[in-house]
Amino acid sequence: MPHPAGIGWRHPHYAQVLEERPALDFLEVHSENFFGEGGAAIATLMQARVHYPVSLHGVGLGLGSAVGIDAWHLDQLARLVDRVDPVRVSDHACFARGMGRDGAIHAADLLPLPFNRQALDVLCANVQHVQDRLKRPLLVENLSAYLDWASSDQPEPEFLAALARRTGCQLLVDVNNIYVNALNAQPDAQLPGGLPDPLQACRDWLAAIPADAVGELHVAGHCRVSDAQGDIVIDDHGSRACDAVWQLHAEALRRFGPVPTLVEWDTDIPPLAVLLDEAARARRSVARPQAALA
Amino acid sequence: MTATLALEQQALLAALWADDAEVAIKNIAPYAVLARAGGLNDSATRLRRGLLAYRSHGRELAVRALQSAYPVLARLLDEDNFAPLARAFWQAHPPRRGDLACWGDALPEFVQRLPQLASEPFLADVARVEWALHSASTAADASIDVASFGLLTTHDALGLSLCLSPGLACVASDWPLVSIILAHQAAEPDLQQAAASLRAGVGEIALVWRQGFKARVREASPAEAPLLVALQAGQPLGQALAASPDLDFGAWLAPAVQSGLVTGARAL
Repeated sequence: MPHPAGIGWRHPHYAQVLEERPALDFLEVHSENFFGEGGAAIATLMQARVHYPVSLHGVGLGLGSAVGIDAWHLDQLARLVDRVDPVRVSDHACFARGMGRDGAIHAADLLPLPFNRQALDVLCANVQHVQDRLKRPLLVENLSAYLDWASSDQPEPEFLAALARRTGCQLLVDVNNIYVNALNAQPDAQLPGGLPDPLQACRDWLAAIPADAVGELHVAGHCRVSDAQGDIVIDDHGSRACDAVWQLHAEALRRFGPVPTLVEWDTDIPPLAVLLDEAARARRSVARPQAALA
Repeated sequence: MTATLALEQQALLAALWADDAEVAIKNIAPYAVLARAGGLNDSATRLRRGLLAYRSHGRELAVRALQSAYPVLARLLDEDNFAPLARAFWQAHPPRRGDLACWGDALPEFVQRLPQLASEPFLADVARVEWALHSASTAADASIDVASFGLLTTHDALGLSLCLSPGLACVASDWPLVSIILAHQAAEPDLQQAAASLRAGVGEIALVWRQGFKARVREASPAEAPLLVALQAGQPLGQALAASPDLDFGAWLAPAVQSGLVTGARAL
C-alpha cells in the first residue's frame, strides 16, 4: 500500500512540515486555497509536492448543483491539477450553487442532496463533466448533513454506489460523517423504546458500499452543540477522532482493504505533533485493522 | 428532469439568505423531512437546529474571510463592529464563486454607502487599498527581466512600454490611507502620527504592488502616479512620460526596478 496515512496540511503548519519533513504518506490540501495564479501559497505547495504526494480535496465544485458546475471553478481546478499532478482529486456529494436575486450564487458550504433518481442524474452528469475535463477519475465524499429532504427515496450508500457504478468515480468514505449523521438521526433519549445503537447504523451503511468502490477514508473530530435552539452534532474537524470513529475506520479497512486514510483537522488546529500522532494511529490501523478492532 | 431538484436547491439557498430565520424555517419545511422517529415536534426542532447550523456557518465564514482580506479595516472597526458588518455584507452580496478569497471586492462600496459609517469616510478608501493588497498577493508571479531594459537605449519612447509589477494598483484618496495602513501593518508611522494626518485631512495616493511574494503598499508621489496609471492603461512610455512632466524618470527608474515595481521593458 503506497499511501496509507496523511494529514490535512493547513497554513499554521506550512513552514514546519517543509522544514522538518515528517514521515507522512501524503499531504492533503483544499484545492480552492491554491486557485491564485501566483503568490506564496501555490509556491509553497509546489515545494511540498517535491517531497510528498499531494491529494487535492475540493470543497467548492458543488457537484450536485442543478444549475451545473461553474466553468470558472473547473478552469482553476484543471490548472491546479496540471501544476501539482496530485495523487488524488476529490470533492463532495453536495450542492452549493444556485440562482440568487441577480445571477448565480455559491453557498460556500456543503449542502445536502436528496437521495433520489433526479439528484443522482444531476450528480452523475456533473461528475462525468469534471472527470472528462480533468481526464482522471474523481473521488466523491459522503456528507454530514443537517437537513433531510422529503424527496429522498433510497438509502445514501445505495445512492453513492450507483454514482460510482455510473461514472467510474471512486468514493471517499468519511467515517466521521457517517457517525455524525447517525448521532443526529437519533430520536430524543426520553422517547419510549430506548436509543438505537448509532454504531450499528454506521456498520450497516458501510456494508452497503461496494468494497472495490472506495479510494480513500477520512477520520476527523466532531462536537456536540447544545444551546437554546436545541441539540446538534457538528462535523467541525476541531478535535481528535473519538474511539467510535476509529472503530468505524477499522471496520471500513476490514471491508474495503488498506485504503489511504486522511486525518482532517480544520478548526482549532493543534501542534503538528498531534496531527502526526493521529496519522500514526491511522497508519497502524491501515496495517492491521483487526488489531484496531480488538 | 431536474425541476424538483432545482426548486429544492433554490428553497434551501433562499432559506440560508432569508433575513428572518423564522421565515427561512417556514419556507424550507415543505421540502424537508418532518415526520421522523421522534414525532412531529421533535423533527421540527431538528429541522430548525440544522438550518440554523447552516445559517450560522455561512455568517461565521463571512467574518473570517473578510478579516483575512481586510485586516486593517477589521482592526479599525474592532470585532464588535466588524462582525456585524461582515454578516450584513454576506446577506447583501452572497458569494458568486466557490473560492471565498474572490469574495469581498464590493465591500469598499458597501462601506461607503453605510449610513452608520458616514462619519468615518476614510474607511472605504482603506478597504480599497486592502482589496488591492489581497488581490496582488495571489497575482501571477513575475521576475525582473534585466536584459529587456536594453530596449530603452534602442527604441524610441513611443515604441516601447514598461512591464509593471503584478497586481499593481494606485488608489488616490483625500485621506492618509497609506499612513493608516502602515501604522497597523508595521507601526511606522505610529498610530498617533497617522491619526494626526487624518485630523489634518492629508490626502495620499496609495501604491500597491508585489515584491517577490509580498504584496506591499507605499505612498506614490504626485509626480510618479500619472506615469504608473498611464503605463497600466497600456500607453507607450513616451505618452506616459508626457503625462507626468514633474517626474525625474532617470532617477526614478533604478529604485522602481529594485523594488519590483517595474519588471521589464517591452517593444510595442
